[in-house]
Amino acid sequence: MKVFMIAWKDLKTFLRSRTMVIFSIAMPIIMMLMLGYIFPQNVGKISGKVGFYSQDLLFKATIKVANVSNAIFFNSKEGLIHALAKDEIVVGAVVPKNFTADMALGKAQIDVIPNPANPQAGIMMAQMIPTMAGNSSSSKTKKVKVNLTNVDGSAFNYYDFMAPGIMALVAIMSVANGLAASITRERELGTMDGLMVTPINRGNIVVGKIVAQTVRGLIQAIIVLGISMLFFNVKILGSIWSTILLLILGIFSFIGVGIIITASVKEQETAQIMMTTITFPMMFFSGIFFPVDQMPKFAQYISYIFPLTYAADALRKVITLGVGFSYISTDVIVLLGFAIVSSLVATIGFKKLIQD
Amino acid sequence: MKSKAISVESLKKYYKKVKAVNGISFDVDYGDLFALLGPNGAGKSTTIRVLTTLAAPTSGNVKVAGYDVIREDKKVRQKIGLVSDRLILYDRLTVLENIVFFSKLYNLDKKTIITRAEKLLSLLHIWEWKNTVVSKLSTGMKQKVNIARALIPEPDIIFLDEPMLGLDPEATRTIRNFIAALNKDGKTIILTTHVLYEVELLANKVAIMNKGKIVAIDTPRNLRNHFKREEIVEVETDSPIGDLNFDGEILEKIDNYMKVKVEDLDYFLKELTEMNIKIKNIKTFEPSLEDIFIKITSDEKDGVKS
Repeated sequence: MKVFMIAWKDLKTFLRSRTMVIFSIAMPIIMMLMLGYIFPQNVGKISGKVGFYSQDLLFKATIKVANVSNAIFFNSKEGLIHALAKDEIVVGAVVPKNFTADMALGKAQIDVIPNPANPQAGIMMAQMIPTMAGNSSSSKTKKVKVNLTNVDGSAFNYYDFMAPGIMALVAIMSVANGLAASITRERELGTMDGLMVTPINRGNIVVGKIVAQTVRGLIQAIIVLGISMLFFNVKILGSIWSTILLLILGIFSFIGVGIIITASVKEQETAQIMMTTITFPMMFFSGIFFPVDQMPKFAQYISYIFPLTYAADALRKVITLGVGFSYISTDVIVLLGFAIVSSLVATIGFKKLIQD
Repeated sequence: MKSKAISVESLKKYYKKVKAVNGISFDVDYGDLFALLGPNGAGKSTTIRVLTTLAAPTSGNVKVAGYDVIREDKKVRQKIGLVSDRLILYDRLTVLENIVFFSKLYNLDKKTIITRAEKLLSLLHIWEWKNTVVSKLSTGMKQKVNIARALIPEPDIIFLDEPMLGLDPEATRTIRNFIAALNKDGKTIILTTHVLYEVELLANKVAIMNKGKIVAIDTPRNLRNHFKREEIVEVETDSPIGDLNFDGEILEKIDNYMKVKVEDLDYFLKELTEMNIKIKNIKTFEPSLEDIFIKITSDEKDGVKS
């Protein structure tokens, strides 16, 4: 009986917070709709252009004669990587000299480089080539060996796709959640009054908190990167500073959400459930675990509203393709836009926060 | 002429439709120990929040240490210290870490902070706990650290919002004596409390708030004198007291003894004499601040103006 009394009291307390009730109902609805509809749809076919850098003229001629509509040829491997970075092709292939001749001898090799934004296409191509080349699953003799590689020639694994996204996710979510929790906790405890009654500029309070949370978020992201490198052979082909800069840009693009939530609700519990309701869909829609290009169109459009989509995409290109800022300018501009809007929102939120 | 420590003119603070503070005016001189009394929801804490720049007034002029709380809020904060019932301390930091952190926000150097901290914490008998994390201290010790935290920057005006709430008698006495000593040293103190006994002992000026307004303001002595018109009197006579006809209320009557509440003691005594009642012994009771407080706030509730 006492158990029910306690349970009823807890439920009654919960029901008295309108925001908590709304967000608690919204979260499972969003989750179910999201998980039901956004999983990859285009399994089994490669949609988009396939790039080739072929040193084998016969192979090039064969493909051209066959009039393969989605094939593009590049004159250098750099050109191929450039096209991958610009998302002009969904997968690239490096065909070595004598590929056709080696096929007859059963020792042909081809490097397939997935686009980091959509590795599924590369994986599919790697599965399709042997079949097209006439490899028999029953025979031990393979005409073509397909190497699924990164641009530096190292073996590609799916974690190369996931690791940069997880880094961005950890940093962005950790900072936004941490900031909301830290401010609401200080308000609940009364220490926020203690800070606000000192003769410092009140903006320093929030900026100080942002700095602390950013350091925490970056440390967590670096741990993700370290584990990816140690255990899953992920390599940073680009600049580490570009990686850190992108992480910071990603953090600032979302920081306003943490502040505005903190300014709207007073209790830590409500702030947390609001943050979860926003960040959970973001995690799935932003192409962290499966590529945005593989999602249905409506889900792709939704993914554009989350800064994490752009941060993850830019980080993947820097880490797995080793490209510089000129190749990720669109992502960077969009992230800067988010960061400016987010900072404005944060300023408004902060003013509301200190008003009483 | 030195300005007032606090000057409040027609202060209003509304939260949407709730009139938390509804047009109050008062002054506090430097060196005063000013007590703000009132039932829960009277507007005391909101007034303190406005005075400490934590809340913006809806209207009115408020100056603290000669500075406007809106336009010169940073200068106000340089001059004040706040101790509230909610501890302004970080549980996972040590006593000294807390004190150093908050004091550095006042641009004090570490050497000065440590010197002042040693003096203050020793006075409050907690210097030996300086390296203990706050979460491991008792409530009373935490409040002592909280007070020390507010005093290290040596503010001119100290706001003590329910500083003795939830403390044991020993801690209460230490803190009460400490507050008295601070005031004796010339610090201006604004105290809100529910413990009227504290106010009787400490304050030289009292304002009683109810429903967002100040309903009485004066020294404790003047307030008592003002409300003395209703006096409790114990009378012992040489013979049993019969039926009486007088302006007052009999609280207790047994044979030769009677306890009455009268508005005019002289008039009451005259009436007894006229009834040939000889008084053997008489004892009057001064109204305590608690009596005054209860009277004023209950009169307000009944719609009676005091």
